[in-house]
Amino acid sequence: MKKHVITASLLLSAMTSFGAGYQLNLQGLRQVAMGGSGAAWPWDASTIFYNPGGLARLKGVQIYGSTMFLMPSTAYGNRDNSGTTSANEQSVSQTFTPFNLYIGGRINEDSRLALGLGIYTPFGAGLKWDNNWLGKYIVQSIDLKTVFFQPTVSYRANEWLSVGAGFVFGAGSVDFRQALPVHGAQGADIDDGQAHLRGTATGVGFNVGAQMKLRENFQVGLTYRSQVNMDVSAGTADFRVPTSLRDSFPNTKFSSRLPLPGVATIGFGWRLNDVTLQMDFNYTGWNSFDTLRFDFAQTTTSLNNVRAPRKYRNTFTPRFGICYKISNTVALMGGAAYDPTPVTNGFVSPDLPDADRVVLSCGITVKPLPGLTIMAAFEGVNSVKRQGNYDHAGFGGVYKTTAAAPGIGLYYSF
Amino acid sequence: MKKLYTIGVAAILFASCKPSADVTTPSTAGEAVFTNYLAVGCSYSAGYADKSLTVSGQLNSYPQRLFEQFETIEDGFGANGPFIQPLVTGDNGYPEPKLVLGTSSYCDGTVSLAPVATTLPLDSNGSWRYINPINNAQINNISIPRIRVADYLVSGYAGLNKYAQRFYYNPAQRPLDELYSRVYNLGPTFFTVWLGVTDVLGYAVAGGQGDGTGNAVPVTLNIYNTSDITPTSVFTSAYDSILKAVSSTSAKGALINIPDVSALPYFNTVPANGLYIDRQSYADTLQALYSTLSFDKVFLQGYNYYIIKDNDDQTRQAVPGELILMTVPRDSIKCAGWGSTKPIPKEYVLTTDELQNIRNTIKSFNAYIEQECKLRKLAYVDINSFMKTLSTGMAYNGINYSTEYISGGAFSLDGIHLNARGNALVANHIIKAINAYYKSTIPQTDANKYPGIKFP
Repeated sequence: MKKHVITASLLLSAMTSFGAGYQLNLQGLRQVAMGGSGAAWPWDASTIFYNPGGLARLKGVQIYGSTMFLMPSTAYGNRDNSGTTSANEQSVSQTFTPFNLYIGGRINEDSRLALGLGIYTPFGAGLKWDNNWLGKYIVQSIDLKTVFFQPTVSYRANEWLSVGAGFVFGAGSVDFRQALPVHGAQGADIDDGQAHLRGTATGVGFNVGAQMKLRENFQVGLTYRSQVNMDVSAGTADFRVPTSLRDSFPNTKFSSRLPLPGVATIGFGWRLNDVTLQMDFNYTGWNSFDTLRFDFAQTTTSLNNVRAPRKYRNTFTPRFGICYKISNTVALMGGAAYDPTPVTNGFVSPDLPDADRVVLSCGITVKPLPGLTIMAAFEGVNSVKRQGNYDHAGFGGVYKTTAAAPGIGLYYSF
Repeated sequence: MKKLYTIGVAAILFASCKPSADVTTPSTAGEAVFTNYLAVGCSYSAGYADKSLTVSGQLNSYPQRLFEQFETIEDGFGANGPFIQPLVTGDNGYPEPKLVLGTSSYCDGTVSLAPVATTLPLDSNGSWRYINPINNAQINNISIPRIRVADYLVSGYAGLNKYAQRFYYNPAQRPLDELYSRVYNLGPTFFTVWLGVTDVLGYAVAGGQGDGTGNAVPVTLNIYNTSDITPTSVFTSAYDSILKAVSSTSAKGALINIPDVSALPYFNTVPANGLYIDRQSYADTLQALYSTLSFDKVFLQGYNYYIIKDNDDQTRQAVPGELILMTVPRDSIKCAGWGSTKPIPKEYVLTTDELQNIRNTIKSFNAYIEQECKLRKLAYVDINSFMKTLSTGMAYNGINYSTEYISGGAFSLDGIHLNARGNALVANHIIKAINAYYKSTIPQTDANKYPGIKFP
């Protein structure tokens, strides 16, 4: 017989993303304070990320460290076809701490060559819903972390041009939980099963840039950060299911690939006495994230490899910032950015209910001692309220995300 | 440093301000009044599931779900409790034990998960007669498992159906008279009627053994054989009488049509081409075995259509589109040559002609129901189209519901009746139709909240 009485081909078809749209533009406090712009001006050692070409133009050698406290919060409301409500939900509060460490500078005072190392967290996502929420069969919680290690070399070709390049090694982790619609005969009426996927990922890429001092008070920066494919080769897939379904949902290994998109940036900077204005334009190649795949080492009639369509689109993000140097020891910064979402309609999944965002930021730097700079920044992110559907899983609703991210850091120049 | 402090305060203020995606809109009754809701129906409305009636099945019936959603109405025209269903007293089935998932061993040594009758004790003593907790004997869901539209005209029907016997005022009456009494007692302002499924289903479940062409004759006065299809003229006149009864208090309501029963898991779990031939020599053997019979024979390595007995008692090979019933004994197929060296008996087969009879009947019954809706200004609930959607797979809040047996998530273990989640999906479909017709704004329920199939 072709079929057994029971063909429990239960789904993982709805299994969804690690979350992408969550590019963290938090790699330097000054740049964060200025709307995330910073390709044109080598503010400090964080230029290793923002434009490796700027490193050869820094004076001395810098050690730089900062951390931010990212507190995102997402609200969900469901509006059914009749225009009435059946759910209002709020994500569980969490705080994430993306950090940055940079060390670098010219190899000696007169050299045109500079070397550096950056360790930073360019992508990440974390969202946790109540375990019993309306979308539990799509996602209960998701957590994605990445750390990039970027050894960098930079060269000042002449008075107006400097270039730089870094090799990127990315390491990361993923943790994903989803309820499974299989109930045990014992216990509460609704005692769902659960899929728990977790693993580590690695990937490589590069970061190149050029900085041009076209006039004494006008600079242009060009950078390209390559796509980094984070490969999970031996993740652990555990399934909590009733005993009779153990063979249908074997605990197994999985592999997956999450493409972290490439970003091309052009930046401009003007300096007029104590005021610096800068603008960056990012073009992000999100369309590399077409389908999310999970390949299980052992598949059954119930446990199939997952192919979840994402169909992200490329985005164009303008960023703007201003820095006002009050005195030799204190400077104030402010900025704004408009970050359109890569998530298209029909693919708005509750694991990353992304929407167009407005970013507002500010910050301050203080130099209490020669060589030492203390920085503080604050970024507020406000997404537009979005009515979105995830057709693949028959799920829709209204989402609204906000995030607050204060940060603090310091660097020392030798 | 004061500025730093200011930034810190701003950060805390910002962080403490949670986003809101509140889309609440009030639940309103529109042009209908839901204060007193009456559900009339058959097994599908009684909460019958897993081949029996249980308390939890009844409490998960779609009329229960509808009542709960009608209760959310805030403009004063919403449902007022209590919602009384004639509950049985136990959860293991009445009068037969319900089906649960257990293990079955087969003649070829294989063991698999399969529906089996529960061995837990029944509570027939408590269930045989319903004791109403309400003084005025109010009942809001008078659905009776297995009742047909045709049965509404049968005097003493309660003597033939234990589910009717449980709570009928006067078992000697026709169900139609009982309906008048109930309507008079309750004074409904809103009703749903989902009747007619059983008028076709009996024929289908019997493998098309009765008259399928609408020309069945009563066995005795007004009583038709349960494996017959109710003649359309009988159906329409009885259905019309039922509507006269439920509308006798000028209530508004919704009529639910008849789904294509051939899409039910019961008829689609054993594939008609399930005859697996692993070697050419066996294909040749079968070819030779049937060489004297005149049907077109195709036996190849791989999956082949079963040999069946059709309604004219002809042995032949099934053709694409024909259906084998889920109840066909598995051991007979595995070890006794059913479907290969012996035909599968006709009571386990729906042939092309029988399926045509079923579909023609449903089409004409539904046309009549739709016409009644127009005539009496009632909401028409096209559950047939819902069933079509379900049979192709319906993604709903992360679950892919379908008509697949067990894995489809919407049907109970009998493969015919809906489980709690399926009932909630049906309630949502009815709410959509009511909202559209009566301009109400009743919210749907989250079907995933309710229990699915339980695995050992």
